[in-house]
Amino acid sequence: MSVSFKIIKPLLQTGTGKFSRWFSFIGMGTGVLLLLCSIQMFINIQQLLKGKSARKNGYDYIALTKKVTNETMGQPEKNLFAQSDIADLKSKPFIDDMAPLVATDFKLELSGGTILPFKTDLFLESIRPDFLDTLPPDFEWHEGKMEIPIIVSSDFLEVFNVFAPAYGYSQISRETASGIPIVITCYGEGGATQNFSGKIIAFTDRINSTLAPLSFIEWANQKFGGQKATHYSRLYIKTKDANDPALLKYLDQKGYEVNKEKTRFGRAKQVLNGIFGGLGLFGLMVVILAFLLFSFYLRLVIAKSKENLQTLLAIGYSPKWLGQRITMQMLPVYLIIFVVALLITQVLQYCFYHFAMYDHHELTPLISINIVGIALILFLLSFIANYRLVKKMLYRL
Amino acid sequence: MQLDIRNVLPLYFEENKNQNSDVWGKKLVFNKGEFIKIIAPSGSGKTSFIHFIYGIRKDFSGDIFFTGKNISNYTPEEFAACRKDNMSIIFQDMRLFSKQTVWENLEIKRQLNPYHPTEKITEMAKRLGIEDKLHSKCETCSYGEQQRVSIIRSLMQPFDFLLMDEPFSHLDDANSQKAMELIIEESRSREAAIIFANLKRVDYFSFTRLLHL
Repeated sequence: MSVSFKIIKPLLQTGTGKFSRWFSFIGMGTGVLLLLCSIQMFINIQQLLKGKSARKNGYDYIALTKKVTNETMGQPEKNLFAQSDIADLKSKPFIDDMAPLVATDFKLELSGGTILPFKTDLFLESIRPDFLDTLPPDFEWHEGKMEIPIIVSSDFLEVFNVFAPAYGYSQISRETASGIPIVITCYGEGGATQNFSGKIIAFTDRINSTLAPLSFIEWANQKFGGQKATHYSRLYIKTKDANDPALLKYLDQKGYEVNKEKTRFGRAKQVLNGIFGGLGLFGLMVVILAFLLFSFYLRLVIAKSKENLQTLLAIGYSPKWLGQRITMQMLPVYLIIFVVALLITQVLQYCFYHFAMYDHHELTPLISINIVGIALILFLLSFIANYRLVKKMLYRL
Repeated sequence: MQLDIRNVLPLYFEENKNQNSDVWGKKLVFNKGEFIKIIAPSGSGKTSFIHFIYGIRKDFSGDIFFTGKNISNYTPEEFAACRKDNMSIIFQDMRLFSKQTVWENLEIKRQLNPYHPTEKITEMAKRLGIEDKLHSKCETCSYGEQQRVSIIRSLMQPFDFLLMDEPFSHLDDANSQKAMELIIEESRSREAAIIFANLKRVDYFSFTRLLHL
């Protein structure tokens, strides 16, 4: 139907209050702006915190221990992870994988041989190889082999180099450390001892421990400790996001000790997400209220033009066509509201990026494409909802 | 194309009302090309009958079929299409847009399904003596003038049935006759039927069927 609406339009403007119209426009604009800004800030927080943890292959690895309290002191079974704890951890969707750190269960001594005149009680631990950040091909052991390859935490070397001068030792580089022959003495029950030579073959940034191959620890625990380990003092979990609020809530509930540095941002993220989530919810409520106001305005237009609309329908005008045209009258207003809200969100994002975050490399001065998408969806939804409302009202006339 | 009316009776009528009527509670078929005159005294339901057929009132029992389909099953869109293409009406209460000019009132109808070019508006207005009112607002026109606008408006579209509800109630005989001539001319050109409901018989309408309501 190539019918002009121009001649029909005056029939609809029968003295609707400008105040209510502007009030609903401003309300709608404010609501949309609040909503878009909150979502953009939410995205900013996600981007900022994504880079704060030492991620490898897109995963975070976090060490867990049970908190030792005055009440649990002296009761190893309460301070160790049992199989049931491990099964529970594995069942959680936010934990992608986990592996226990298997520790030596007997007395162990380490000495520097003739080059480094020191001797210390020590422990060795082991973990599944896929949890290691560095895995040299010679990190393996089999029964009968007298040399044990060892991976040491980079932090241990750093600590040694801090106190070495005070004790008259020379500071050592990674390369030198790798060349030092180490003697590892294992003490078993009944005074049995056995010496092994140790060789530092790599340093790890992830695990604070001295690591030996799992095959050695299991063999040695059987031989010198006399039993197979079933409880573990430390576990490593592999997760996509160390700052996942669900993970942090779970760890808090269980009272597990975690590496605070890795999850510190998660706590802030929880709070910020809460704030902007609340703001977003408020924005959504304002949008809904403004939308209701808008629909009241449309109802008012139709109620005030009822007689004219009834006549139009009586002489053969299609309610569908009229509904489309009446709703289309709102199109420019809707467009302006959404475009202005998007522009203001863009300006605020630039200000946040430039003035508050000093051009932080993990942020962008432009708003996320998702924001444009959300604005577009919201725009279409409001438009369709209005059209359906008007059409329904016209059908009832 | 026909109108099939079966046992139609307003819901607010008593059952015995249909005994003396040729229309209420009867079976009637109106075909294209027929000129039907319905004579009825005040309060006998002329306007109701016309409105039932046109689909703007539904408070009746019985059935009305248009081109084989019961109009009680028509959707609002189907009614709109029917009023645009097949059925036209002259309302007793005119139903013009009072704040619009005569020209605008006619153009609003004409543009919906243009049967005539715009020049025809002037020609018809001249024939019925209201050409000087074309650019006046309807609210400033007399009832007689408004009635003539309403008649011209009904002739701006194609139709198979023209429903007329006391279309000359505010016109003198001379003007009524002129209007009737125009209506008959336009209906004949479309081979359309006229259903003309009036209080009394008028000599200048040569009907093919006379019914008493």
